[in-house]
Amino acid sequence: MAMVRPQRSINPRLGIYLGIFLSLFMAIALLTLIFEGLGVGRLTLAWAMLLCPLALYGVIGAGGLTNDALDFFAAGRRVPAFYNGFTLATAAFGATGTVVLTGMLFFAGFDALCLAIGALAGFVVMAVMLAPFLRKFGTFTVPSYLGRRFDSRPLRLLSAAILSVPILMLLTAELRLAAEAASWLTGQSRATMAVLLAVILALTLVPGGMRSLTWASVAQGLAAFVALVVPVAIVAGLVTTLPLPQLTNGPVLRAIGRVEAAQGLPYIIPPTLAFDLPGQGLHEMSKRFADAFGLVGPSAFVMVTMTSLAGVAAAPWLLPRLASTPGVYEARKTLGWATFTFGISMLTAASIAVFFRDYVMDVISAPGPAAVPAWLSELVTRGLATINEESSRFRVSSFAFDRNGILLSLPIAAGLPEMLLNLSLVGVVAAGLAAAGAAVVSLGSTFGEDLIFGLTWEPPEGAVRIHASRIGIGLALAIGALAAATVSSDPFRLTYFALAFSGASLFPILVLSIWWKRLNAYGCIAGLSTGFSIVSLAILSAEGGFLNVDPILLAASGIPASALAAIGVSLTTPAPGRHVLELVRDIRVPGGEILYDREMRLQRQKRHRQRS
Amino acid sequence: MIERKERKPYWRHTKWQMLASLVPFLAVTIILPLYADKLNANKFLGFPLGYFLAAHGLVLIAVVIVATFVSQQDAIDHWHGAHEDN
Repeated sequence: MAMVRPQRSINPRLGIYLGIFLSLFMAIALLTLIFEGLGVGRLTLAWAMLLCPLALYGVIGAGGLTNDALDFFAAGRRVPAFYNGFTLATAAFGATGTVVLTGMLFFAGFDALCLAIGALAGFVVMAVMLAPFLRKFGTFTVPSYLGRRFDSRPLRLLSAAILSVPILMLLTAELRLAAEAASWLTGQSRATMAVLLAVILALTLVPGGMRSLTWASVAQGLAAFVALVVPVAIVAGLVTTLPLPQLTNGPVLRAIGRVEAAQGLPYIIPPTLAFDLPGQGLHEMSKRFADAFGLVGPSAFVMVTMTSLAGVAAAPWLLPRLASTPGVYEARKTLGWATFTFGISMLTAASIAVFFRDYVMDVISAPGPAAVPAWLSELVTRGLATINEESSRFRVSSFAFDRNGILLSLPIAAGLPEMLLNLSLVGVVAAGLAAAGAAVVSLGSTFGEDLIFGLTWEPPEGAVRIHASRIGIGLALAIGALAAATVSSDPFRLTYFALAFSGASLFPILVLSIWWKRLNAYGCIAGLSTGFSIVSLAILSAEGGFLNVDPILLAASGIPASALAAIGVSLTTPAPGRHVLELVRDIRVPGGEILYDREMRLQRQKRHRQRS
Repeated sequence: MIERKERKPYWRHTKWQMLASLVPFLAVTIILPLYADKLNANKFLGFPLGYFLAAHGLVLIAVVIVATFVSQQDAIDHWHGAHEDN
């Protein structure tokens, strides 16, 4: 069968445009450095540093204006693998990775790696088990995929409702961290900044949906990456003479280990299920950096790795990104680039933690009477650290540091110019916007496609369909801004439980829907609701404390429980029909027509026949 | 377009490739951190070895696994004629 495919070519000037963006971004940063030297006020420069990149994202997003469904929901299915993978990794790393993971690594060292390793492995699992097949199916949202794949409208509606929960949690966490960084820059309140960022996101995403998101996110990812790497690369150049922080922090780490040993930091042997990573706020260093298992027990380490693996692999805010690749092969390659980018970001975060710890250890091990260095007093004035006791000699327990402030403390400790601190903050804002944008667009398309038009397999032609999703994007942003301005719970917990939700409720049924033909709609519903209720119980037990169960353990057990429920219910209910089986066979083969397009074409033909 | 009788061998091949990519990777991901403390006595590039392998080593392994998977699976697709047309 010959297929006529509209040739959708890739913009040949893409690299040039993004190069222009990157040069502009660097130029703004360097200009503020020059003006800083000329004596222009700190606040003016901070506002310039915040608003100029935001305006650029807005322009890029507005440039993606489109009323074509394929462009709006899947960026025209023509995003090259590298850009797609880069965006995917940025959305997964986000402000949580930039701020919280760095802080966790500073306090817990090796133990905090479980979060990063899990996410990294999640990309590998997504590449092998999910990505090529979801791309072949070609739907724009995860609920549409489930609904079409099992030919079940209730499943589509239910999954849309359930999956909105983790997406909203992630949106809240990311927007909150971005708003906090912006309010640090400008001195305005977090609520004002949350509203400002939501407005910027609306201007960026409403015109072109996924198309705007893709290109704005590439720009945000570049900004976030530069902002993450440049300060620590300069510090690495100062400390080790080689500006390659990811690889050169080894000797620094050993020096830290010697001070830790001299200070008599205890070897902790935690209970095997302990999970005691620092929450938000100020903490003392209590664990040796490179030693395994001090705050997190070995079993908890494996469980947290698995939870974040499943959560990232099935994240409903990341999977729609796969629909925008040109083909199945490119979808696999996307995940390769995503793994690579995520890996570099995570190693950079670890090196930031090591270098800052080195500065602190230098203060502790300095000979002679205790003297508070200038940078440490500045951290105290800025509220990023406290000095617990004034004695003749400092000990490890003399200082407490803000978990969410480690990223910002490093440029201050190294005595770098104010511009690099601002750059770090702008990077956090960019990373937060990229991740929040991914959440907002997937929530918006889920709202338009699966809730408004969820009861019909045939979405209306023309702009109505896109306007519905635009309303969804607006609603998601309104809720997100409200939550980000008011919610005070730890962004790490929000992100972790969002991952637990998507891992427990979605991961098993997504994998089974491809690799096990016998799974039917009933099994799917059972798996979804089992996973959802178990993780809800875990959250209740964590927040309320009235259920005497370990929340981490409970959240991790959601994955096998949901898989068992899906398999059990499927086996006791009727086998799927011939049409559904034929769909599964076609999902498994990369070649041939995209299944979503084929279903839509058949639908249209049927209607034409009925009419004539 | 794939021939009908090629579908079964193609899927069997794909399944083996999936297992060959994931089983060793997941085994390393789970087991390696558990032995990190013992490995930390050794040094590599100045890093304690256990920490180095759990951070840098796993990143390297993950990238290599995905890269080999992409090329292997593409070869499988072409072998069975299951690849995309363009």
